[in-house]
Amino acid sequence: MKSNLKCINVSKYFRNNNGFKNQEYVLKDIKLEIKENDFITILGPSGTGKSTLLKLLGGFLKPSTGTIYFNNKKLEKITPLISMVFQEHTLFPWLNVEENVAFGFDLKGLRRKDYRDKVNESLEQVGLFNSKNLFPHQLSGGMKQRVSLARSLAVDSEILLLDEPFSSLDIQLRRNLQKLLLSIKKDYKKSMVLVTHNVEEAILLGSKLILLEGKPAIIKNQMDVSCSSYSDRYSQEFLALQKDLETKIEFN
Amino acid sequence: MEKIYERKFFRFFCGFLSFSFLIIFWELSDNQGNNPVTQVLPPPSQFLPVLFESDFKIGLGSQSATIYQSITITLIRVLSGMSLAFVGSIIVGLLLSLSKWSELFFVPILSVIAPIAPIAWVPIALVIFGIGNLTAIFIVFMGVFFTLTIATIAEIKRVPTNYIFTAANLGGSKFKIWKSVIIPSILPGVFTLLRLNFIAAWMAVLAAEMTGLRDGLGTVVMTGRNLFNSNLILLGICIIGITGFAVDRILLFIQNKFFWWSTN
Ligand SMILES: Nc1ncnc2c1ncn2[C@@H]1O[C@H](COP(=O)(O)OP(=O)(O)OP(=O)(O)O)[C@@H](O)[C@H]1O
Ligand SMILES: [Mg+2]
Repeated sequence: MKSNLKCINVSKYFRNNNGFKNQEYVLKDIKLEIKENDFITILGPSGTGKSTLLKLLGGFLKPSTGTIYFNNKKLEKITPLISMVFQEHTLFPWLNVEENVAFGFDLKGLRRKDYRDKVNESLEQVGLFNSKNLFPHQLSGGMKQRVSLARSLAVDSEILLLDEPFSSLDIQLRRNLQKLLLSIKKDYKKSMVLVTHNVEEAILLGSKLILLEGKPAIIKNQMDVSCSSYSDRYSQEFLALQKDLETKIEFN
Repeated sequence: MEKIYERKFFRFFCGFLSFSFLIIFWELSDNQGNNPVTQVLPPPSQFLPVLFESDFKIGLGSQSATIYQSITITLIRVLSGMSLAFVGSIIVGLLLSLSKWSELFFVPILSVIAPIAPIAWVPIALVIFGIGNLTAIFIVFMGVFFTLTIATIAEIKRVPTNYIFTAANLGGSKFKIWKSVIIPSILPGVFTLLRLNFIAAWMAVLAAEMTGLRDGLGTVVMTGRNLFNSNLILLGICIIGITGFAVDRILLFIQNKFFWWSTN
């Protein structure tokens, strides 16, 4: 898949409740290109605009100024080719785990026997096959996150946007799912953009790391972390970079 | 451990006990018919047998009907009125939500009509539909429809944006999103309001039966009044209470069974 998503001088502000322009920009002059097979990780303090940037990249929000191009055409509307795992609140409470994961297929009018294998595979991948009959209110926060992930994995997309998908998981599950993402990226040549609070995760998974900071937020730092020493979490370079980044970011 | 007063059976038992005491007290106070209170309020041992008189009919001539027919007819009226209002308000609410403009123009009208007491529609309904089922159904409908339509519009606004984003992201068309996301999101809220409005609908249909119509449970009570038959009045009152309670429980059951989820 030769996909390409490009932000050109994108800025974003929100309107307040009265519909007036809120002069405060959340994001300012973002220039970013996501090429085929990229794995971009975004770091930044809480409330900087990481989720906002991801929503812009998925076409869920419109840039206030600047343009986003997807495969050389202006990104005008939400598309299944750019799949998003939202930070919160996206499982349909009236559907059980299996039905939630199958929702995309259901929308297309496919029959259950045609998509069952695919759905089961996604559920296996996130380790929730045995919970497929539970409803969202019966799940823990981390399980909900995994269902959302499984739902996005089940559909064929070119780019996967992930908004802190592992924030409520224990370290073991987190590592398993990190491996899963890397193997999916390798096998299906999907590009990925991952927002995270976890510096280690950002270095380990990313091929390119972006540091978002300030009010309005700008891209403070953009570095190539694809080098093999950054895929060993105990290597000298890894630990040095991790320390450097952690001191740069003041997490609240 | 579950506290004893949280247990279903215990709660049921308490209700049963208090009713038994009420009835025993009522029966005992009927001191050989000398108590002026029980002359107006005869105890169950006196009014219940009326139910079992085999060819018992209430009313005169062609309008006479058994108790069972009266219950059925009242239930049919209130349930059809409510079903129509439920379906109608969801359809109209969805249509009005399609455009900001229609909402701006129509919601003020709805908001003014909604607080009108259903019973106020009786004279108009009698003129339009005459004496009959349509009148009763119309009154129930008018009592519930406007409130529910406003609720539907409010519920649609409260559907989490992420639900719609997610569905669109999974390739859902506008129509599919309405059908598979927005409608399921709003159903529990609208149904809860329907259930809360049942009492109003129930009272509306009874009031209509007491004032304008010639059959149904409300008419049983009125016939009792006209015949100075306090047994009949009491029987009617008790049946109204018990049936209303039963329907409310059935609606609660439907809600827990089919519309149990919540979106927040
Ligand atoms: N719909 C909106 N309307 C107005 N302001 C908004 C809206 N969405 C986000 N914001 C503002 O934009 C800023 C960035 O929010 P965003 O959710 O993108 O932060 P974030 O970096 O994802 O934070 P976190 O790490 O806590 O998830 C915040 O100050 C927030 O108040
Ligand atoms: Mg966020």
